[in-house]
Amino acid sequence: MLGPLIAFMFIFYAVPFGNMAYESLHSWPGDDKPHVGLSVFQYEKTTQKSRTVKSLKRTFRISIISTILTFIICFPITLLLLRSSPRIKVGILLVTFISLASSLIIRNYGWLVVLADAGPINNILIWLKIFEFPKRMAYSEGAIITALVHYCMPFMILPIYGSLLRIPASNAEASLSLGANAWTTLRRVILPLSMPGIFGGTMLSFAICMSSYVTPLMLGSPSTAMVSQVAAEQIEVQLNFPWGSAIIITLTLGSFLIVFIYAALVGKVMRVDV
Amino acid sequence: MVFLVFPVILTVVVSFNGSQFIEFPPTSFSLDWYANISSIHRIGSATLISLGIGLMAAGLATVFAIGAALVLVRYPLPAKPVLTAFLLSPVTLPTVAIGIALIQFFIMLDVAFTWYSLVFGHIVLIVAYPIRTIIASLTLSDTSLDEAAASLGAGRLTVFRTITLPQLRPGLISGFLFAFLISFDNYPISIFLVRGELTTMPIEVFNYISQNLDPTPAAFSTLYIVIVSIVIMLAERRYGIISLAVGK
Repeated sequence: MLGPLIAFMFIFYAVPFGNMAYESLHSWPGDDKPHVGLSVFQYEKTTQKSRTVKSLKRTFRISIISTILTFIICFPITLLLLRSSPRIKVGILLVTFISLASSLIIRNYGWLVVLADAGPINNILIWLKIFEFPKRMAYSEGAIITALVHYCMPFMILPIYGSLLRIPASNAEASLSLGANAWTTLRRVILPLSMPGIFGGTMLSFAICMSSYVTPLMLGSPSTAMVSQVAAEQIEVQLNFPWGSAIIITLTLGSFLIVFIYAALVGKVMRVDV
Repeated sequence: MVFLVFPVILTVVVSFNGSQFIEFPPTSFSLDWYANISSIHRIGSATLISLGIGLMAAGLATVFAIGAALVLVRYPLPAKPVLTAFLLSPVTLPTVAIGIALIQFFIMLDVAFTWYSLVFGHIVLIVAYPIRTIIASLTLSDTSLDEAAASLGAGRLTVFRTITLPQLRPGLISGFLFAFLISFDNYPISIFLVRGELTTMPIEVFNYISQNLDPTPAAFSTLYIVIVSIVIMLAERRYGIISLAVGK
């Protein structure tokens, strides 16, 4: 009964990706020196053109910053979830789920509203006399990071909370009764034991940020373009399928490489299997 | 948590403001933007298409996932981790990569810009969700009940229909629900696979937001959030989807 799905995924997933990889090794009629046969020309172009190099660097930077910020915001929330009464717990989880289920476009639109020229943040800052005139806050890297952190929160909260639930309460009690203070207990007992959830959450957030497309389109400007946008532009506007394919494959491999290194590091530092 | 709900509350407030532009604090009350939702280009037909595509893709993905999850959990199989990783991998890939790969493939097959190619594309993206939730339900389910029914003479289909399936219900419902919501909301795959009259809700709402500055999308968002909240709360009350997703 596994057969039908494997067959489906082979035809509509593995084959299209193989085809895209094959396409990326071709030349495009509009290239400087079009040539027949296979080559890594499109990949050389990806690592040489300043627009793709800049967008690759920007994508990595935004993803790493957003993932760290998401973790810093979410870890205390998961600890709070663990300690709070069942009513509050269900409330927080429901909000998290509703947030997870509401449309990405709608959530990004919410940030456009918050960061608008006549929006609340600008008005509060003017009222506090920090600015004299509204400052353009939307359409910037900061706006993209804010919206990405917001989008990633449920993906961080749920796995970390899941792994915290699996730690027996007696572990923390034992540590406290043996004289460790709360901070040491958190650092030496809770944190290492919740590592599988932390790894899952940060990895998922990172992957989401790396592949973000709609968020930089809505909250960024052409000068803050991320890789997915640059690749999509080549496909949709220029109809340059080989280069568009090469750009998106570079992003995919790059993001896999970082996740792989990260997994190895986490495993080594924390001495746990993740 | 304030950070999580802040933009939502702001959107709701702005949707009732009379001003032509997004402004806060609000200056007047009006329901004009709700009446104006119909001015989002093709919003009616696009929402219907999104509903249809979402129901078909989530339905098929869930049916595929039942078979796959049963085999992955209950039968010894060589290379199981590899197969599981393959089936779950689309979630971790850049979504645009799936769109770019599929549009080239569909153009090659000469079926690009058809509704069924859109359904197939969405299944690739969403099938991981029902697989995960059904595997979670299956690991909690009791195989001795199946064995008891079989030893009492029930056929394999009867065992599946009367014993296994009811135990899987929470996993099925939450898997289907999330698959549907992800498909319904998808932009990065759909944008490559649609053309002309074949368009989806997220694409039309996105286009409206990028061309207009008025708060009509806020009114639309408010309706969307209200409906999603009701669905999630009902699903939690009846099937406990939250505990299933958290894993306890």
